[in-house]
Amino acid sequence: MKLIRTLAIVLTLWLLGITAMHGGLNLHWFAKTTGDGTGEKTFGVGFLPVTCHLTCPVTHFINKEMEHHDMFQPMRFNGWPELKEMFIGRSKDMPAAFILAPMAIALREQGVKIKIVHLGHRDGSAVMVHKDSGIFQTTDLRGKTIAVPGRYANQRIIIYRELKKAGMTLDDVKLLEMPPPDMPAALLSHSVDAITSGEPFMGQAELDGYGRVLWQAKDVWPGFISCVLAVHEDAIRDHRDEIQRLVNGIASSGKWIDESMSHRMDAAQFVATNYYNQNPRLLSFVLSKPPDRVTYSRLKPLQPEFEEIERLAKEVGMLQGTAHFEDYADDTFAPDPAKVQAPHFEVKK
Amino acid sequence: MNRRVLHIVLPLVTGALLLTSWHVAVKLSGSDIFPTPQQVLAGLGELAQQGLLLKYIVASLFRVSWGFIAAVLVGVPLGLILGWFRPAYAALNPFIQILRPISPIAWIPVAILWFGVKDTAPVFLIFLASVFPITVSSMAAVQNMQQVYLRAAQNFGLGGLELFRRVIFPAALPQIITGIRIALGVAWLVVVAAEMIAVNSGLGYLIIDARNAGKRYDLVVAGMVMIGLIGLVLDVLVRRLEKFDEVRWGYGQR
Repeated sequence: MKLIRTLAIVLTLWLLGITAMHGGLNLHWFAKTTGDGTGEKTFGVGFLPVTCHLTCPVTHFINKEMEHHDMFQPMRFNGWPELKEMFIGRSKDMPAAFILAPMAIALREQGVKIKIVHLGHRDGSAVMVHKDSGIFQTTDLRGKTIAVPGRYANQRIIIYRELKKAGMTLDDVKLLEMPPPDMPAALLSHSVDAITSGEPFMGQAELDGYGRVLWQAKDVWPGFISCVLAVHEDAIRDHRDEIQRLVNGIASSGKWIDESMSHRMDAAQFVATNYYNQNPRLLSFVLSKPPDRVTYSRLKPLQPEFEEIERLAKEVGMLQGTAHFEDYADDTFAPDPAKVQAPHFEVKK
Repeated sequence: MNRRVLHIVLPLVTGALLLTSWHVAVKLSGSDIFPTPQQVLAGLGELAQQGLLLKYIVASLFRVSWGFIAAVLVGVPLGLILGWFRPAYAALNPFIQILRPISPIAWIPVAILWFGVKDTAPVFLIFLASVFPITVSSMAAVQNMQQVYLRAAQNFGLGGLELFRRVIFPAALPQIITGIRIALGVAWLVVVAAEMIAVNSGLGYLIIDARNAGKRYDLVVAGMVMIGLIGLVLDVLVRRLEKFDEVRWGYGQR
């Protein structure tokens, strides 16, 4: 049969060709292996291209520049569900991940054996309204639609906390779940009245000129915690050294970011180009306007702070309240923030 | 009108009209977010210059090729068997019909759980999306075969594998090819969904990544345009199969 024979030959050649091209272009099969060859067993750490997870690429970059090897394997995701699924479904491939604090606690409540070992950042969240809107204070949000990132986002908690201060409840507003990347466009098109998520999506609405800050997390809840570094208990048992190195790296690179504005601008540059695929201008904006919009020092998990999150999350109905600090956190890896030293690292210009 | 004018000039005119109305619509709406055709072209140029365009196209074609060819290799024999053996049909068809309408997006968590975030996961999703249309069309092709071929074959004393190879398969082939053509469209259609998993290359990834990259909707649309154009090329290539005698006899004259 001519047809079948032709097809078999053409398709086999095509498969070989496209596989070789994919291997060469995307998987670097033919690239000469670099490095010392000892090749530390790769320890996967999941993250998203958001400011809340900035210490992950910064730690990886600084370590690679200074030590010339990979301390861990940064695994970039594009959305929360996939990140979470990989983290809880294939803990061998990705034993650690940056995730939302309430999500980590909720997973623990649902029986996933993970522990929060460190914070990823503080502050770095805001409520944005359209610049032409008549919303100037929390009470103006009555009856309005606010986009939030998801069921287990801390933004729900901070909104609840603010409404409560203003004598309102969550029933006075309408919360709508929306992936953060879609939020700026939703605000611009007036599909929602307010948006809230981690940076840089809030900064983008402001930078593009149609967003106005209603409030920054740092101003209404100083030291606001949103994303944390969580690891599997199996990994704590089997890979203590890797986790300790990772935590130390994150603590010290956080210190490095906060050390000076020029470090922040350098970080914006190398993270945006090498890890996030974004315009560096956006990260520069978020990391500088104002400089304490998001901070990376004081990252040791503290029990009273988590107890407040737990209590509020329970009131909102996000958590059952069955897991407590000692169940879902292990603060023994985190160094004392006062003693953390920033690495002596400057970007080669 | 001669054929050349018909098949080259007319599509170009439609294309120009569509592009113009796109441009005018963006300008009229005053949207700062939705890109104009020029901005999309510039975005494509930027990707090409960085070498990303070729990499992403290759990555997507790689995943679709493996997923789709695996689906053909599984789906065609399975469909032929189900179409011929009634007990097999009775036993399996309900489950094929249950699995068939489930969108590949719903399978993403399963794919991540089974395959992690390597290339296997998107290949699996593309396989799932295309294996059912292929199976069902092969099955229907055998079931709808004209009885006269079978009777003639039996008169000649053909049976068993020989009957399958010389009568059933050739008789079903034209309809199988039509099914494969539709399935290839489906396989290419789900590339965006399949690449929502954390792979870091591909046209679907380009779209999802650009959404994370601040205001880069020019790249989102660039990804859409490239998927569309490659889809067109794939369809033209599959149509060439209809030129083979083994397929052509099964089609009507128009």
